[in-house]
Amino acid sequence: MMPDMLSSSLQIAAPELILAIGAMILLMIGVFMGEKSAQTITGLSVAVIIIAALWLILVTPLGVGFGGSFVLDPFARFMKILVLIGSAAAVIMSVGFAESERFNRFEFPVLVLLSTTGMMMMVSAGDMIALYLGLELQSLAIYVLAAINRDSVRSTEAGLKYFVLGALSSGMLLYGASMVYGFTGHIEFTQIAAVAAESGRSVGLIVGLVFVLAGLAFKISAVPFHMWTPDVYEGAPTPITAFLAGAPKIAAMALLTRFTVQGFEPLSDQWQQVIVFISIASMAFGAFAAIGQHNIKRLMAYSSIAHMGYALVGLAAANTEGVRGVLIYMTVYLMMTLGTFAVILAMRRRDGMVEEIDDLSGLSQTNPMMALFLTVMMLSLAGLPPLAGFIGKYFVFMAAVHAGLWPLAIIGVLASVVGLFYYLRIVKTMWFDEPAEAFVPMAIELRAVLWVTGLVVFPVYIFVSGPIFAAAEAAAKTFF
Amino acid sequence: MYTIIVLLPLAGFLIAGLFGKSIGAKACEYTLSGFMVVAAILSWIAFLSFGYGEGETLRVPLLHWMQSGTLDVAWSLRIDRLTLVMLVVVNTVSTLVHVYSIGYMHHDPHRPRFFAYLSLFTFAMLMLVTSNNLVQMFFGWEGVGLASYLLIGFWYKKPTANAAAMKAFVVNRVGDFGFALGIFGVFALFGSVNFDTIFAGAADVAAQLGGGHEAAAAGAGAAAHGAGDVVLNFAGYGLTMGSALTVVCLLLFMGAMGKSAQLGLHTWLPDAMEGPTPVSALIHAATMVTAGVFMLARMSPLFELSPSALTFVTFIGATTAFFAATIGLVQNDIKRVIAYSTCSQLGYMFVALGVGAYGPAIFHLFTHAFFKALLFLGAGSVIHAVSDEQDMRRMGGLRTHIPKTYWMMVIGTLALTGFPFTAGYYSKDAIIEAAFVGHNSFALYGWGMTVIAAALTSFYSWRLIFMTFHGKPRASADVMHHIHESPLVMLVPLYVLAAGALFAGIVFEHSFIGEGYDEFWHAALYTGAENHVLHDMHEISFWIAILPTLCMVIGFVVAYMFYIRQPSLAKETAKRNRGLYQFLLNKWYFDELYDFLFVKPSQHLGRFLWKTGDGKVIDGLGPDGVSARVLDVTGRVVRLQSGYLYHYAFAMLIGVAALVTWMMLGGAS
Amino acid sequence: MSALLASYLPIVIFVGVALILGLALLVSPFLLAFKAPDDEKLSAYECGFDAFDDSRMKFDVRFYLVSILFIIFDLEVAFLFPWAASFGTLGWFGFWSMMVFLGVLTVGFVYEWKKGALEWD
Repeated sequence: MMPDMLSSSLQIAAPELILAIGAMILLMIGVFMGEKSAQTITGLSVAVIIIAALWLILVTPLGVGFGGSFVLDPFARFMKILVLIGSAAAVIMSVGFAESERFNRFEFPVLVLLSTTGMMMMVSAGDMIALYLGLELQSLAIYVLAAINRDSVRSTEAGLKYFVLGALSSGMLLYGASMVYGFTGHIEFTQIAAVAAESGRSVGLIVGLVFVLAGLAFKISAVPFHMWTPDVYEGAPTPITAFLAGAPKIAAMALLTRFTVQGFEPLSDQWQQVIVFISIASMAFGAFAAIGQHNIKRLMAYSSIAHMGYALVGLAAANTEGVRGVLIYMTVYLMMTLGTFAVILAMRRRDGMVEEIDDLSGLSQTNPMMALFLTVMMLSLAGLPPLAGFIGKYFVFMAAVHAGLWPLAIIGVLASVVGLFYYLRIVKTMWFDEPAEAFVPMAIELRAVLWVTGLVVFPVYIFVSGPIFAAAEAAAKTFF
Repeated sequence: MYTIIVLLPLAGFLIAGLFGKSIGAKACEYTLSGFMVVAAILSWIAFLSFGYGEGETLRVPLLHWMQSGTLDVAWSLRIDRLTLVMLVVVNTVSTLVHVYSIGYMHHDPHRPRFFAYLSLFTFAMLMLVTSNNLVQMFFGWEGVGLASYLLIGFWYKKPTANAAAMKAFVVNRVGDFGFALGIFGVFALFGSVNFDTIFAGAADVAAQLGGGHEAAAAGAGAAAHGAGDVVLNFAGYGLTMGSALTVVCLLLFMGAMGKSAQLGLHTWLPDAMEGPTPVSALIHAATMVTAGVFMLARMSPLFELSPSALTFVTFIGATTAFFAATIGLVQNDIKRVIAYSTCSQLGYMFVALGVGAYGPAIFHLFTHAFFKALLFLGAGSVIHAVSDEQDMRRMGGLRTHIPKTYWMMVIGTLALTGFPFTAGYYSKDAIIEAAFVGHNSFALYGWGMTVIAAALTSFYSWRLIFMTFHGKPRASADVMHHIHESPLVMLVPLYVLAAGALFAGIVFEHSFIGEGYDEFWHAALYTGAENHVLHDMHEISFWIAILPTLCMVIGFVVAYMFYIRQPSLAKETAKRNRGLYQFLLNKWYFDELYDFLFVKPSQHLGRFLWKTGDGKVIDGLGPDGVSARVLDVTGRVVRLQSGYLYHYAFAMLIGVAALVTWMMLGGAS
Repeated sequence: MSALLASYLPIVIFVGVALILGLALLVSPFLLAFKAPDDEKLSAYECGFDAFDDSRMKFDVRFYLVSILFIIFDLEVAFLFPWAASFGTLGWFGFWSMMVFLGVLTVGFVYEWKKGALEWD
C-alpha cells in the first residue's frame, strides 16, 4: 500500500485510533495503579471519548479509506457522534454506581472504550469484513461487560446468555456474508449493489441477505431475535444496561441501514418485506410484553425492542425521508433512554439499588424533580406531543405513509397506543400511589445527564431541531 | 359607560372566584358589593339620561366573536330603552341582594364562592339583556342558567338542594332546546342572528303578509305572493312564511316558558327555593325568571307577525297565572308561597305579551322586581330571625318581635295585591285591562283568569302575612327566645325596595304605559299596525277598571276571616274539600305526573343504556374487552420469555428459517 | 479447472500423511504396548477431571484460563508464520503492521500478568 494512501486512511480513521490507543493506555494505567484507579480511569476515558468526538467533528476529513473498507460520510459522522454521546453518558453515569455498589473495576470504562471503537468501525464499515470486525469488537467487549459483576449470578447468567446467543447470531451473519460473497463475488457494499443491480434477484443472494439481516437484527434486538434483551438488561449491572440500551443500538441500526440501503439498494423490495415484518413484530411484541413487567429494567428492554420497531418503520420506507426518520428517531431515542436510565440509576435507597416499578410509588412527593423528569421521559417514549418522542415517531410514520406503507404506519400507531399504557402506568405510580420510602439524593452526574436529556426532550429540541434535521437530511442523502 | 356596567360584575366574579380565598371573605363582599353599587348607579344614570323621544338605539361593539359562512356574530351591546329598563332592574336588585347577603350569609364559610356566583349571574344576566343578537342572548341565557344551577345547589351538602339544582337545570334544558331551535329557525328565515337584520326582515315580511291578508279579505282566494312559498321545513312539514314564523315564535316561547317557569315547565321554580334566600330574590323573582318576558318583548317585531303564537302565549300565561295562584293558596313553606306567586305574576306578564301589550308587560316586570324581591328578602329576614325555619305553621305572632321586617312585608304585599297607588296597582291593573280589550281568541279567557288570580293573590299574600306575623306564636320557646330583628345591612335593602314597591308605579306609569309611551320606548318595542290594545285599554268602563281592586278586597277579607277572625274556618274548609285541598297541596300532581311520564322512564332507559348498553356492549367490546385481550396477549407473550437459553436460540432459528422460507417461496418477485 | 485442482495436490498429500501418521500412533499402542491397568493408572489426569463424566461437577477454572491464554499466543504464532514467510515482499508496511499487532498483544499480556492470571495460586 502506498504511504500517502495509508496516511489518508489513518486520518479518516483517526477517532477510532484515538479510542483504541486511549483504551490500551488506560488499561496499562489501570493495571499498574490497581483497583483504586477506577475513578481516574473513568474520568480519563470520558476525556478520550470527548477528544475522539472533537477530532471527528473538527479535524477528520470525509472520505473512503483502507481500499473501501472504511467509509466516513455524513451518515457515518452523524451516527458516530450519537454513539460517542451514548458511550460518554454511560461512562459518566457509572461513577456513582461504582462508588455506592463497591463496583470498582477500571476495566469497565476501558471495555466501553473498546466497544465504542467497535461501534465506530461498524458505523464506518464499507465492506463485510469491516462489518464483521467492528461487530465482533463491539460484541466481545459487551459480553464481558454484561458479566463483569462476577459475584452476581444474574450478571453472569446475562453475560453467558448474551455470549452464546451472540455467537449464534454472529454465525448466522457470517454464513449470510459468505453466501453473499459467493453469489456476487464481492464484499464491498457498493460493488455488491452493482452486481445485484445487474443480476437481479437470486435465491442464494436472498438467503444470504436474510441471514445477514438476522444477525444484525439480533444486535438491535428486533423480534424474533430479541430474546436475549430482557434477561440481559435485567441481569447486567445497571450502568452497563444503560450503555447497552444506547450506543450499540445506534451503531447496529447504522450498520443495518448502510447494509440494506447501500449494499442491497437494487433489491430493496426484497429486504423491505423482511424489515416490515420484523418492524411490526417488534412494535407489537415490545408493546404487549412490556405491560406484564414489574422490573423497570426489564420494562425498558421491551420498550427498546418496540422502539427499534418504530425506527425500522423509517428504514422500511427505503428512501431519503425514511433514513432521515431513522436518524432523527435514533437521536431522540438516545436522549430518552439516557434520561430514563439516569433515573433508574438514581433508584437507590439506603440499603442498595432497587429496580421494581413499585419502588417509584409516590415519587412525586418524595422527589418531585426526578418524578417530573421521568414523567417527561415516559410521555416522550410514549410519543406524546409536544415532546421529542412525538417528533421521532412523526417522521418515521410520515416516511412510511409517503412510501405507501399505510398498514405499517397504522400498526405502529396502534402499537404506540398499547405502549402508552405501560408508560402511563409508571407515571400513575409516581404521581398517584402512596409514597414508598424515599431514594437517597441523586448523584450530581446523574442529575446533569437527566437535566440535559430532559431539557433536550422538551423543550430544547424545538430550538435545535433545525440544524439537527438539516444534518439528518444531509446524512440521509449520502445513500441516494 | 355601558361597557363598565357590563364588565364590572365580570371583574367581581373573577376577583372573588380566583382570589376569594387569599383576600378573604370580607374583602370579597365589600369589593363585589362596591362594584355592583357603581354598576347600579351608572345604570340609573344611563336610564335617566337616555334621551326621551329622540333616544336612538345605540350599539356598542366590544369584540368580534365568530364568523362562519353567513353566520356573523359579534359581541356588542344593544342599548335601547328596553335594555336600560332591564339594566336598572338587574343592577338595582343585584346590588341590594349583594348588600343584603353580607348580613344574611354571615355565618356561611363559603361566602367568597357565593359572591362570585352572584356576580357571575349578574354578568350573565347583563349579557342577556344587552345582547345585540340571538347568539349572545343565548350565551347570557345559558350563563344565567348555569349561575342559577350553582346557586340553587350552593349548599351542596344538602341532597334536596342538589336535586333541586339538577331539576332546574334539566327542566331548563327542555326550554333551551326550543330556544335553540327557534334561533336556528330565525337564522334559516332571515339569514342572520343580528337583531337589526331580523327586525328589518320582519318589517319586510309584515308588508308582504299585510298585503296577503288584504287579498284574503277581499276574497281573492289563493294568496298570490311570496308568503305562499315554502321557506322552512320543520318536522317534515314545508312551512310558508306565515306558519314558519308561528313555529319559530312558538319555539322561542318554549325557551321563555322554561326560563320563566310557565305552566308545564314550571316545576323547577318552587324547588329552586332550596337555594339561599337572597338567590331566590335575585334570580327566581326579580331577574332571571323574567328573561323569558324580556326575550318576547325583544322579539316583539317577530311575535307581532304571528297572531296564533300570541294567542298561545296568552293561553299559557293566563293558565299559569291562575294555576300557580291556586297552589299558592295552600302551601305552608313561606318561600314556596312567594315562589308560586312569582310563577303566577309571570303568567300575568305573558298574558300582557300575548295580547300585544308589551309596555304593560315590561312595566309589570319592572314593578314586580321591586316588590317580589322585597317579599323574598323580607321572608329571608323572617327566616333569619326564626333560626332558619321556613314553615309558616311554626311561625305566627312575629309582628311585635320584628316590626321593621313586618312593615316591609306588608308594603310588599300591598304592592303585590295591587293596593291602590302602590306599584302593583298600576302594572297589574294595566295587564288585566289590556287582556279585557285584547283581540285574540284567548284574551277574554286571559282576562277572566287574571281577575280570579288577583283575588287568589290577595288571599294567599294576606294569608302569608297573617300566618307569619299575627296570631299566637307557634314556634318553640327556644326559637322565640333567639328571635331578633335583622341587622341594618339587611334592612336597608328592604327599605330601598319598599320605596320602589310603593312609588315605582306612580312615577313611571306615564312613561311605561301612559301618554309618554311612544317617546319613552321609541323603537325598542314594536307594535303592529293593527294593534290598538294600549289605546283601547284606557277607554274601558269604570266597573271593569275597578274589578281587580274589588277582587283584591275580597281576597283580603276572606284571608282575614280565615286566619284572624276564625282560624278554625281554614281547617274546616280544607277538611270539607279534602280532594281539592290535596290536589292543590300536591301542586296539581305535576311532579308526580312528570315523574311517571318522564323521570321514571328516562331513569329506566338510562339504567338500561348504562348497564347493558354502555357497560356490557360498549365497554365489553370496547375498552374493557380490548384491555382484557391485551392482557391475554401480554400473558402469552411474557410466557414466551422462559429464561432458557435453548428456547431463545430456538426462536432465533425458527425466525430465520421462517424468513428465509418466506423470502424464497412467497417473496416479491 | 484441473490445473486448479492439481495445485491442491500437495495439501492432499499433506493431509494423507498426517492421517496415516496419526492413525499409526493411535493404533500401535493397542497392538504393541504392555498392559497392566490399575485404578491409579485409569483415573483422570488431564486437567484434573474425567473427560466422560457427569458435567455438573466441580473443576478448576484455572486450567481454562491457562489454555485460553495459550490459544491466544498460539494464534499469534500462526499469524507470524505466513508473515515471516512473505516478509521479503511486505516491506516496512508489513513490518510495522506486525509490530502494532504484537504491541497490542503485549498490552494484553502485560494486563494478564499484572492481574495475576499466570500465577497458579
